Amino acid sequence: MSHLHIPDGVLPVLLWAPGLGLALLLLVLGARALRGASPQRLAYQSALGALVLAAMVVELPLGPLDFHLTLVGPVGVLLGAVSVFQVVFVANAILALVGHGGLTVVGLNALVLGAGAVLARSVYVAFAQRWGPTVALTVATAVTQIVSGALWLAVMAAAMHVQAVGPHRVKLVAGVAFPLYLAGIVIESAVAFGVARFVIRVRPDLLPGGATPVEKPK
Amino acid sequence: MINTLAQIDYLASAGRTPWHRASALSKLLLAAGLVLLAVFAPSLLLLAGLYAVAWALALTARLPWRLTLVASGYPVAFTLLFVLARWDGTADTPLRLLLRPLTASLVAVWLVGTTPYPDLFAPLSRLLPRSVGDGLFLTYRALFELMRRTSGLWRALRLRGGASGPVQRRLTLAGEGFATMVLYGFERSERLYATMRLRGHSGRICGCHHFAEGSRADLLVAAAGLIVTAGAVLLWRMP
Repeated sequence: MSHLHIPDGVLPVLLWAPGLGLALLLLVLGARALRGASPQRLAYQSALGALVLAAMVVELPLGPLDFHLTLVGPVGVLLGAVSVFQVVFVANAILALVGHGGLTVVGLNALVLGAGAVLARSVYVAFAQRWGPTVALTVATAVTQIVSGALWLAVMAAAMHVQAVGPHRVKLVAGVAFPLYLAGIVIESAVAFGVARFVIRVRPDLLPGGATPVEKPK
Repeated sequence: MINTLAQIDYLASAGRTPWHRASALSKLLLAAGLVLLAVFAPSLLLLAGLYAVAWALALTARLPWRLTLVASGYPVAFTLLFVLARWDGTADTPLRLLLRPLTASLVAVWLVGTTPYPDLFAPLSRLLPRSVGDGLFLTYRALFELMRRTSGLWRALRLRGGASGPVQRRLTLAGEGFATMVLYGFERSERLYATMRLRGHSGRICGCHHFAEGSRADLLVAAAGLIVTAGAVLLWRMP
């Protein structure tokens, strides 16, 4: 739902221009925070960025609909807030260059998807001690989807408000979008549960709190 | 989408038209101008003209029309939400709503279909912070390999019964499959890092330096830019 990439020309400039500016500002601040990061970390971050794009391609057949995943919840837990926002921006930029999502709205698309993803690690850390890593990663992904999806709906509502769309039409669009939003939360969380179950068995050190090699400064 | 992306990527390197010979910088400027015009143009006639120009660019670049149609048609589904919300009984509003994103995505497909990715990312990476610019190169390099592996994994999951049974089981299995990709991504990053060090990585992926080198083909890009500008001036106030 949150990665229904908004194309060019459907949103008012009042929404996408500040979105682009804010995303670029966050990227600059994030780059400063990652100044000492090793090239290996950048390579790992990029591999997970490619995985986000690959996951978006996979079609999960669910009845009459095909669902496309994002995996930004698990990737947010694995990389942390700063890196995952960069990953989301790069993924959106590459998609925009092939016509999936707009070039002018690349910042807003990154903010929508990234807003949830940057919370993932904090939520994971908060719940991992009490409920264990599998449940914590599932909850972190659910929160990611709730936040990103809600922001996506808010952007849509704001765009329709600016364009003076009547309330009954907004309700109609919400009637289409809201069930997809709920389905997205459940599906992404269930997939994240599987990711967590496997990573904990095979490479628990990749998760926060483990002795992960990529976290060590060079 | 993987096939579409792979074909566009191949055409960008294998194409031999003047658009392919023009510098990445001039094409980026033309594309940026076209996208901004498509976003801001108030006239339906101008929007239709821009869409025709975008098709002319794609077809003269010898991009297959079906591939171009599929790749640039993504915004339709999303835009229909807005068409639904703003339906006023006329054809003008839906046409306006559809032509803007379709023109922009068609221009993007033309740009990517005529420009190899190192040339395309090099100027962009100079505008972005270092880690983001390098991320563009490394993510795109990893993309096709990850997509191929994900596609293989998906096929294997289906063949071994991973796509049957209760939904919860299917989704958990899919998650476990993606987790193998996470581990693969980590191992790949270790190998890539070793390779980068062996090749004398200096701390920045610069991309090629010839993205701004002009050629005679750039005159064609400039001519297209002039035609578009003249058309925009003439048609801006038209209905």
